[in-house]
Amino acid sequence: MIKIENLEKVYKTEEIETTALNGINLHVKEGEFVSIMGPSGCGKSTLLNVMGLLDKPESGSYKFVETELLTLNDRERSNFRKRNMGFVFQNFNLIDELTVFENIELPLIYNKVPAGERKKLVNEIIGRMNIVNRSSHFPQQLSGGQQQRVAVARALVTKPKLVLADEPTGNLDSTHGNEVMELLCELNETGTTIVMVTHSSHDASFSNRIINLKDGHVISEKINKGRTEELI
Amino acid sequence: MFKLNLKIALRNLWKNKGFSLINIGGLAIGLASCMILLIYVAYEWSYDKQFKNSDKTYVVYQNLVASGKTFSWPWTPNVMANEVQEKIPGVKYASHSTYPRPNLITVGENRLSAKVVFTDPNFLKILDYKFIKGNSNQVLKDINSIILTKSFAEKLFGNEDPMNKTVKLENQDVLKVSAVIEDAPANSSIVFECLMPWTLFEKREPWVKESNWGNNMCLTLVQLRDNNLFSSANAAMEGIYKRNSKDNVAVALLHPLTKWHLYSDFENGKSVGGKIDQLKIFLLLAFCILLIACVNFMNLSTARSERRAKEVGVRKAIGSTRKSLINQFFLESILITFISTVLAFILVEISLPYFNNLLNIKLTIDYTNSGFWIALFSLMIFTGFVAGSYPALYLSSFEPIKVLKGLKIKTDSSVSVRKVLVIGQFVFAACLIICTAVIYQQLNYVKNKPIGYNQANLMQIAVEGKMHDSSKLELLKTQLLKSGAATHVTSFSSDVTEGGNNTTNIEWEGKNPKELISFNHRAIGNDFIETMGTELMSGRALSSQLKNDTNNVMLNEAAVKMMGLKWPIGATITFWGNKMTNVGVVKDFVVESAYQKVAPMIFYIDNHSDASVMLVRLNPDQNISSSLAQIDEIVKGIEPNYPVNRKFVNESFEVKFQDEKLLGTLSNWFGGFAIFISCLGLLGLALYMAEQRKKEISIRKVLGATTGNILTLLNKEFIKLVAIANLIAFPLAYIIINKWLSTFEYRISISFLPFALAISVSIVIAVLTVSMQLIKVAKANPIDALKYE
Repeated sequence: MIKIENLEKVYKTEEIETTALNGINLHVKEGEFVSIMGPSGCGKSTLLNVMGLLDKPESGSYKFVETELLTLNDRERSNFRKRNMGFVFQNFNLIDELTVFENIELPLIYNKVPAGERKKLVNEIIGRMNIVNRSSHFPQQLSGGQQQRVAVARALVTKPKLVLADEPTGNLDSTHGNEVMELLCELNETGTTIVMVTHSSHDASFSNRIINLKDGHVISEKINKGRTEELI
Repeated sequence: MFKLNLKIALRNLWKNKGFSLINIGGLAIGLASCMILLIYVAYEWSYDKQFKNSDKTYVVYQNLVASGKTFSWPWTPNVMANEVQEKIPGVKYASHSTYPRPNLITVGENRLSAKVVFTDPNFLKILDYKFIKGNSNQVLKDINSIILTKSFAEKLFGNEDPMNKTVKLENQDVLKVSAVIEDAPANSSIVFECLMPWTLFEKREPWVKESNWGNNMCLTLVQLRDNNLFSSANAAMEGIYKRNSKDNVAVALLHPLTKWHLYSDFENGKSVGGKIDQLKIFLLLAFCILLIACVNFMNLSTARSERRAKEVGVRKAIGSTRKSLINQFFLESILITFISTVLAFILVEISLPYFNNLLNIKLTIDYTNSGFWIALFSLMIFTGFVAGSYPALYLSSFEPIKVLKGLKIKTDSSVSVRKVLVIGQFVFAACLIICTAVIYQQLNYVKNKPIGYNQANLMQIAVEGKMHDSSKLELLKTQLLKSGAATHVTSFSSDVTEGGNNTTNIEWEGKNPKELISFNHRAIGNDFIETMGTELMSGRALSSQLKNDTNNVMLNEAAVKMMGLKWPIGATITFWGNKMTNVGVVKDFVVESAYQKVAPMIFYIDNHSDASVMLVRLNPDQNISSSLAQIDEIVKGIEPNYPVNRKFVNESFEVKFQDEKLLGTLSNWFGGFAIFISCLGLLGLALYMAEQRKKEISIRKVLGATTGNILTLLNKEFIKLVAIANLIAFPLAYIIINKWLSTFEYRISISFLPFALAISVSIVIAVLTVSMQLIKVAKANPIDALKYE
């Protein structure tokens, strides 16, 4: 589903240039759950941001199914993103001024889903995430695990083809972290493709394939047999 | 500590250049506007106050009831001054003088028309003009003497010493220069270029000698020994007309010289204000502009508060008291005010010439005046304190633990205070837009209101020197018509755009004998109707060819209406004791104020050379400049000793709208500045909001919001603020303009238009300002804001 070839990204400041991505090649098949691992500064978050069309690389190619995404303009990128992708962040990134329900509803509004259907979809996912009694609360009234579940719910409500997760358990304790990982696995089993950046090999063990980055290169790839067999 | 605080303040200014620029720029524009307005107000305020004893000096007014209305004029009989000097208790000096009038002064081939005042020696005791040459006690006594002002002396004699040299008045009297005085200040009510003795006036115009309490022909100035004596002196003045002339119903009163210019409107014989009302508006405007500039400062400083919070926390943690923090922030605001004041100065100096040109006055900054520096210094401190008050109190209130731990400061209350401030700014701006629009509508309405005659291509030539001879006037007319420059020519007994002679000495059948009705009376030449381009409503026009017409008159419509004549043609009217017959009714036309209803007017044929102007209707088929050249040549041929004094009627008519135009121009400019400064405030708020909501905006973008979505979201808030401001401004502005309009007899009805204009202009400007700033944030890569959490 995703074909990334020769991707390069350089950060420039007044004095130094930092190469974050240095000729990355990466293929992700539909229905895969890929983890990206590596030390700090290896470029994994940058890669994820480029995949989520939040950041632009200097050169290379990024094909989603058959569409080349790097040539799109701002508006097209924005449209493509809202139709096909969902995001889960380490720090949840919920809007403090909106309730749980409204936070989850927001991407549907931007996708111009009619109000009745929005309500149905949001309620459905709130049920699935087990946060029904929290729907009228504000993010700050929830625990970290609950907040991340809301964030996951928000990423999933549009039924995206691809979910991008940036250290989804980074701000959570292990119990809550496992809950979130199980949620992602369930999601993956229903056919959603997931790309996750993580530091934790425990989290990575939930995925089908683990990619190791260092200094902007892919240095190794490992098929997670247990999971893959499960999948087969 | 002070040094350290100053250092921090300067570094802060430098670090946040954008903010500093908006802050200083906004404050500078506000201060500059305020300064210019204050200089203007001070200029008007100091009118006639330059004299040592101006506070003890009074102008004699007369109140006369006519047509059921009290008219008040500073015109008095020639005998008034002597009577006052001798009989009124407490009077130190009284003087009589003419109002400045143009006369021809010649030195050799140098011919100049000068503003001349004929007066007595007391005049110079009351008004102590500075003598450059000559002795103030010796002047105006010799009948053939003249006092020149400095600039006029230079015009006449160049660099030569003018003392004891001679000049010629109207080519008749030879006068010796007895003194040179400083020019009369631009802001004085009596502006002249030379002074001549009253005795000379009497010699030239013998009728002036006759003592006549019925002829109000000059200005009488009175100086009291002490102001305590005012009420007794004024009481004694009241009956002065009646005591000297039994039938005279006029009442005299003393009006302070220092109020002459600003309080010139009288109602029922009492001073009810005048230009002072306009001055008060400008003073208010100055204050409000300064205030909104201060509000800007408050907004921008508190918007930056999050960045300063840490500094406040650290300072408090290491032992700073709240008081010393408040001092620090005040120091910063005064520093910024100081920089702004310097900038404002430059702006004022740059714009003053333009402003002077606009208002046709001469404002300057008097750097040697200590009052000026004191005013400036207090203005600066005041601005610094007002602008710095809210930020100082707000910033110093942060609790150290919270800000140091990096907890988010709850800013809800400060946001709402700032919103209120922005609403306040826009209320003011919207009010100004509405008022300016109405002033322009009213001005246009009155200007375009039919005035009853055709102003275009109508010219008037002053009748001077030999032209007073009726045969020469007739010659002038024939030559003008023959040359093809004019299609019609007539004479008129006063300037057609100004008020002039009026009388109450008119009787007719059915008149209430107790009532005094004031009629304008004008002597006209042949072809009056055609030349003026007015209409004859009924009857026929007067003509000197018809012998009987010396016993006939014409009336205007207003006169017919006032007299209640059913059959105006053929009606008998006793005019100055002579029985006259009315032969025609002329359409009402405006001679004095376009804002007031046309007064009754009676016309008679000119047979004693009463003409003061020739009215000339220019030939529309001929090139104007060649017509003008021909006219000049013809007039010079008849009276070579005078410069040709001609003007277009529509140009002199324009002058009538000067006050309103001034108000319009000023409110336009300063309204513009107010809106600009308000927009800077809005920009500050937008910057703040963008900073506050950066994360939210990024999340929304990640979730698929387009730049347009984000702009709409953020603009909504501002549109709401501006809309609320407009709603508050509407009733306020309505009250203000209603009050202003109520002073005009002819006025527009207040329409929906100015209000619609205000709300749309303010919203469009606000959206543009906000969007320009926010588009950067809305377009930014969303991940930038999310990355560093």
